[in-house]
Amino acid sequence: MSVAYSYHSPVLEGERKTALEIARGRLTVAVLLFLLGFAIMAARTIELGISTTAEKQVATRTIEVPPVKVARADIVDRNGEILATNLETSSLYANPSEIKNPKLAAAKLVSVLPDLSLADVEEKLSSGRKFVWLKRKLTPREKWQVNALGIPAFAFQDEEERVYPHGRLAAHALGFVDVDGKGLAGVEHFFNDRLDDPDRTTEPVKLSIDVRVQYALADELEAAKNAYQAVGAAGLVMDVNTGEVLAMVSLPDYDPNNVTGVSADERFNRVSQGVYELGSTMKTFTFAAALDDGVVTMNDGYDASKPLHVARFTIHDDHPRNRFLSVPEIFVYSSNIGTAQMALDLGTERQQAFLSKVGLLQPSTLELSEVGAPIYPAQWHKISTMTISYGHGIAVSPVQLATGISAMVNGGRLMPATLIHTSGLHHGGRQVISPATSRKIRQLLRLTVMKGTGGRANAIGYRVGGKTGTAEKAENGGYARHSLISSFVGAYPMDDPRYVVFALLDEPHGTKETFGYKTGGWVAAPVVKNVILRTAPLLGIAPRKEDEGLYQKTSLLIHDYKHHR
Amino acid sequence: MRRLVTAFAAVTALISGAAVLKLKLVVQDKADQVQALADKIHDDQEAIRVLDAEWAYLTTPRALENQSAKFLALMPPRASQVLTNPDVIPFRPRSAGEVEDPGVLLPSRETKKDKPSSAQSGLQATSQEAGVRKPQTNQKGQAL
Repeated sequence: MSVAYSYHSPVLEGERKTALEIARGRLTVAVLLFLLGFAIMAARTIELGISTTAEKQVATRTIEVPPVKVARADIVDRNGEILATNLETSSLYANPSEIKNPKLAAAKLVSVLPDLSLADVEEKLSSGRKFVWLKRKLTPREKWQVNALGIPAFAFQDEEERVYPHGRLAAHALGFVDVDGKGLAGVEHFFNDRLDDPDRTTEPVKLSIDVRVQYALADELEAAKNAYQAVGAAGLVMDVNTGEVLAMVSLPDYDPNNVTGVSADERFNRVSQGVYELGSTMKTFTFAAALDDGVVTMNDGYDASKPLHVARFTIHDDHPRNRFLSVPEIFVYSSNIGTAQMALDLGTERQQAFLSKVGLLQPSTLELSEVGAPIYPAQWHKISTMTISYGHGIAVSPVQLATGISAMVNGGRLMPATLIHTSGLHHGGRQVISPATSRKIRQLLRLTVMKGTGGRANAIGYRVGGKTGTAEKAENGGYARHSLISSFVGAYPMDDPRYVVFALLDEPHGTKETFGYKTGGWVAAPVVKNVILRTAPLLGIAPRKEDEGLYQKTSLLIHDYKHHR
Repeated sequence: MRRLVTAFAAVTALISGAAVLKLKLVVQDKADQVQALADKIHDDQEAIRVLDAEWAYLTTPRALENQSAKFLALMPPRASQVLTNPDVIPFRPRSAGEVEDPGVLLPSRETKKDKPSSAQSGLQATSQEAGVRKPQTNQKGQAL
């Protein structure tokens, strides 16, 4: 090899040159390749920059807004008005071991939080412990004031507080929560798991309640309760086509924002939990059953000329006519004697089956934990049949009654009562009476208001129909002659019923204005009338001149109505 | 020539390096702004919850009724005042001057004005007709 080397030296020059050239050539190729690569990248970069739309560029960048976390879902009314919400509050605690002068710190703190006791705070701050609670749930202003004191040993723990902005309004429907936010009554209790569900705290629970209607009913009931010095009052407004409860008032009530010291009587929900013998309003069901089964027709009648003696009981009329009464007259003048005879013709079994069918013998399905079971005799004797026909010897809750009355007037479909907003589509429901019977019941209810005992519920223009109910309160195994449960159940507009309005007064006293009367027609009917006058425009029901023809035929069966009071 | 290219490359590298650094700083700044904005949105959402609750508290029907009685003093409408067909709104009679009692004000506000008794009795009649007041008012009306 070395020989060749020395021998071919001139060739070597040329070889070295070619090797260098080859290397340069290779390098150039590499450089060109790199250049090409960079050029492609540059072109692609420019292309991306130009061709990608602005929306796409922004969209690829996700902006994470920290979600608002609440421990419990809101409750809103049917129009989205907030009924219950969770708000952030702060609770004040201190680390007493860091405080040099507990006396001064305590004095300063009490000066901004005057509801704390000075001695108590001083004792806590001088305890030398590492942690003491000073006050739970401060308002933002209080928090600011405490911070302004500039004492480093005071610190805050963020907490949530359940707030009911409408206060007492709808307290019984909403219920309340304990310090830890656990529902203890009402919807808060019934839907506790749903409201607590961490995945659904941002979706509010929408109730069927309408705060405007709720207020109108609460205001009128309160006024009546005060005027007649009643011990309690209850009322509700229900959509007859969907069973939704728009308003539910039980008095006395309470403020769910602060339930300390609230008595059991105030917490008691008279609408769903309380069961009452409601008196003549129950006659509606006796008539519906009898008319639907064809036991009587509107042209029949019964002798109500003298009190009825059955076993050791005597059945009287509160508005005695002392003559033969037609079927519409029995209803319109609220004759117990006539209704009892009709119930006998109907028979115990059919009566029982009918009451069960319209849900009066089972607790209501309303979404509340406070639902009372109806009371009725275990042994349904002949006398029970007679008294139950006019609403004595059976105790039902107002919500059960309203559900039943809704079915009587809406064409015969029984819609279960609900507190949850439905989409407005009327589906479901069970046909309990024929539409024809429902039409007759509507006529009877309207005529009761036009010509009978319910005259004081006649809200002009809104075609109100209804039935009064007055019952003596059962006490110590007998009836208390002067303690009454006076109620009125109304429905309107009678040509196409939309809402049932119920009002009940517990132990009302007559006044000079009512000439001492304290029956349903005198004390409860005006409440229903006022509520209808106040809420019908809100609910989109226009006043109208009514079609007298609807009632003409039935009206002819009612005589001497002018002297009925 | 070669040296020129090298210098050009070096300068370009320096400039692009500085540009990238600046870009990075700007992006970081923007990212901070975005984060701050996101936090602000969160805070505002919480504030809106509080304001919603406050709005519900301030517009509770009882409060509105009190405000209405204080500033408007309007009576609840009568059924006869509600028209279903806008075509039947009557024109105001030309001859009539100012209507003494339009029948829309609350009795308390009206009586304060110390009107002659005719206006008062007319008002009582309307409130009776409307049936919107409590029984006591009706009774007073009957007594008058």
